Amino acid sequence: MSSEADESVTFSLTVDGAAHEVTAPWSESLLTVLRERLGVRGPKTGCAHGRCGACAVRVAFEPDRADDDGHVLCSCLLPAATAAGCSVRTIASIGGPDGELSDVQEAFLAEGAVQCGICTAGFVTAATELLDTDPDPTREQIEAALYGNLCRCTGYGRIVAAVETAARTRREATP
Amino acid sequence: MRRPDGQAKVRGEFSYAGDLHAEGMLHGVTLRSPHPHARLLRIDTAAARALPGVHAVLTAADVPGDLHFGLTLRDEPVLADGVVRYAGEPVAVVAAIDPRTARRAARAIVVEYEPLPAQTDPTLAADAEPLHAEGNVYRHLAYECGDPRARGVVTVENTYRIGMQDPAFLAPEAGMATPTADGGVRLEVATQWLHSDQRQIAWATGLPPEKVQVVLAGVGGAFGGREDVTLHTHACLLALATGRPVKMEYTREESFLAHRQRHPGTIWLRHSADASGRVVSVEGRVVLDGGAYASTSPVVIANTVTLLQGPYRVDNGRFEGWSVRTNNPSCGAMRGFGVPQAAFAHESQMDALAAALDLDPLEIRLRNALRRGDTATFGQRFTQPTPVREVIEGLRAVPLPPAGGKLPGGVGRASSPGSVRRGVGYAVTMKNLAFSEGHVDESTATVSLRDGHATVHCACAEVGQGFVTVAEQVARTVLGADTVTVTQPDTLIASAGSTSASRQTMASGTAVHRACVAVRDRLLARVARERGLDAGLLSIQDGAVTCDGTPLVDVAAATPGHTVRATEHFAHPPTTALGQGDVYVGFAFSAQRAVVDVDVELGLVSVVQIASCQDVGTVVNPTQLLGQIEGGIVQGMGLAVMEEVVVVDGHITNPEFQDYLIPTIVDAPEVVSVYVTDPQPGMPHGWKGVGEPPLCTAVPAVAAAVRDATGLPLPSVPIRPEHIALGIGTPPTVTRTTPRPPATTGGTALSEEPADRPGTWESEGAAGH
Ligand code: FES
Ligand code: FES
Repeated sequence: MSSEADESVTFSLTVDGAAHEVTAPWSESLLTVLRERLGVRGPKTGCAHGRCGACAVRVAFEPDRADDDGHVLCSCLLPAATAAGCSVRTIASIGGPDGELSDVQEAFLAEGAVQCGICTAGFVTAATELLDTDPDPTREQIEAALYGNLCRCTGYGRIVAAVETAARTRREATP
Repeated sequence: MRRPDGQAKVRGEFSYAGDLHAEGMLHGVTLRSPHPHARLLRIDTAAARALPGVHAVLTAADVPGDLHFGLTLRDEPVLADGVVRYAGEPVAVVAAIDPRTARRAARAIVVEYEPLPAQTDPTLAADAEPLHAEGNVYRHLAYECGDPRARGVVTVENTYRIGMQDPAFLAPEAGMATPTADGGVRLEVATQWLHSDQRQIAWATGLPPEKVQVVLAGVGGAFGGREDVTLHTHACLLALATGRPVKMEYTREESFLAHRQRHPGTIWLRHSADASGRVVSVEGRVVLDGGAYASTSPVVIANTVTLLQGPYRVDNGRFEGWSVRTNNPSCGAMRGFGVPQAAFAHESQMDALAAALDLDPLEIRLRNALRRGDTATFGQRFTQPTPVREVIEGLRAVPLPPAGGKLPGGVGRASSPGSVRRGVGYAVTMKNLAFSEGHVDESTATVSLRDGHATVHCACAEVGQGFVTVAEQVARTVLGADTVTVTQPDTLIASAGSTSASRQTMASGTAVHRACVAVRDRLLARVARERGLDAGLLSIQDGAVTCDGTPLVDVAAATPGHTVRATEHFAHPPTTALGQGDVYVGFAFSAQRAVVDVDVELGLVSVVQIASCQDVGTVVNPTQLLGQIEGGIVQGMGLAVMEEVVVVDGHITNPEFQDYLIPTIVDAPEVVSVYVTDPQPGMPHGWKGVGEPPLCTAVPAVAAAVRDATGLPLPSVPIRPEHIALGIGTPPTVTRTTPRPPATTGGTALSEEPADRPGTWESEGAAGH
């Protein structure tokens, strides 16, 4: 049973700074390409239908443009081939190579925003984009930015606290 | 203290079951029944087997050991055997080189079904034609105490309904099985209870248990939904059949079909009270829909029935319940384990009584609050701390939030302020802790210490709740260890039981504590011997061995190169069968106040704030404690106003997050959490379980607040917009009764025979008798 969706295409993709040539059925999701073909397992599969945000990554569609800092999207919804030539940053791009934590990661840990942690990479990715765009978000703006991310363990209270703490840290670090 | 696994989790480096991978591994998929009830006429796997890349196709005929498994009754086939009893029941499993090929092969299996009528009404199932050789009643129980016919001046009764809730842990089921050199199998899997899995896999594979090794893989939430076996046995059978590692990972939809849900239930309750609001008698009947296979249905029903009294003193009553088999999805453990159902019903009744007597809702609860020394309807005495009044008073001290805030409707559907009403509701609950009714509640831990580094080994499954933090905290405090490793749980050590029933801090935490104390005593004895000191004067403080308070040497340098090790076991005092004494290990109490804004035209609810006062024994780790409270409250709020697995003619119509709505960050209320600390006897530091009470209490608290805002009776959860907008739901029947003092007092008597039929209360209504 072969269909158009099964037809393979080859394209290039930059993931966390490393260039890759990918051959995959064109309809295969970016999440599947990352996890199964490239072994990049930071983004998680919670629903595969764009409803939970566990798979969130930051994609720059025009990485050569200085003002394209990328946007967070659900990698399970994006056919990987449509991301040809894009630069994808996963949770592995946040924080330093030797275990250093970003301000957002540090705050998630300090505030107890992590229980099982399966949602955490998605939340950290989305919260990082939020603070990159707006270092002083209101509670409503935090909710609007993280509305697409589900967490079943924490009840969100510690997650909001973590984002507020990270924002404060960031404001204090950049006078 | 921070979570020891937190660093890896925030960096996205923590390995979950879904991340498992091995060289040469195959992918397993499951073919499921599309029918809720059907005879299997023929299965033909030839075409599937012939596909290139397919390594195995297994049906019931290929199961080498015992086909049946289950947590209580062994009534569930590993793969369907002649008949399917729910939509989604596994019929065949396939292993192939990649998921695509495996799915294609599953589609190529020819199955001929003869559909049978599906029994989907639990109130009819008990008397209907048996769906299984084991019958349709998983358990019936009935008992009385005092004189159930005693009456006060007012009697209220109503029938309450609770919907089916999905645990909806965020990481779908996954695991990988690998054949071992000794002919056995090793399964890495996201689970709550390694030894239970091991036992059930051993049954099906025909292997001795020691040849089935179960190792915990990273778990992305559980909430009861991983207590039963799902893909575990299938992955092992496929690995043994192919000689290769086989990974299985469910989709979200499959996850809904495959794991056990929270039991939907119908509860009839009649409370009678005197003029002061004191409850004179309670009568209750429960039917829980257990679905197609038993799982823990026989245990859950006992929780629901026995806890119908709530955290109140009830001297006279009769209580009865059934958990029954239907062709609906199987139900089993979910956080709260039968108690949220009871809590919703008894708290609705307390509010109805308060309204009938014109009493304040907290006042009526205070007047009935259980005290230490009281006896439960089921005969157990409350000999441990029973701080019911204290949690109510603690809650009362929390100030109400200011008016205003975001309007109901969240993102997208906005309300107009004119139709928004604020409501405030209260609930108080009692949750039993740990295993019950004679099931042994125990755990074992091995701790070793070398040069200041402690290693903790225990089969307690970390599912997100933070056992690893507790274990590390204990090892640091007791042993003065600089660094601690909590090794991955496995079946090489004795069972720690399930991570459920709010029990692991009490059971495994205490086993770890005992092992640490034993290691400490050995270390100190050795230091005393080497230095010619009196061991009785030595202790460990702040990482140093001290003698009579004076530091002697750092723990890390106390016995260089020498490993001190100890294994310790912990078991709670045994519990008994219902009616014979202490059915439960202990209890926790919780009070909450919910504040909601309701758009009465659109029926939309925004939960503004929930204040909680919980009996927690002692605060072990404030951050993790708050995380349990907030997480539990939001799940309870989900059951109250959002979440329901909708089952129509035996089919789940919403097995996706698109249609099964779990609370988002926008829905989540502000939580204010205060505690009553009254140390639990027999536990290190007096700690006790905390995970379930917040959920149990949030369900009735939110429902009460919505009733307060709308003036509607709302006897069903989840409360749906149409219930509010159209005013659906029958109010309680209130009868002014002639007081009748109890003719007999005391004693709990079990009855063998059903006093009633499960379906009779629709015609109930004669409150006075
Ligand atoms: S996996 Fe749930 S949104 Fe992508
Ligand atoms: S921490 Fe478990 S889903 Fe968020």
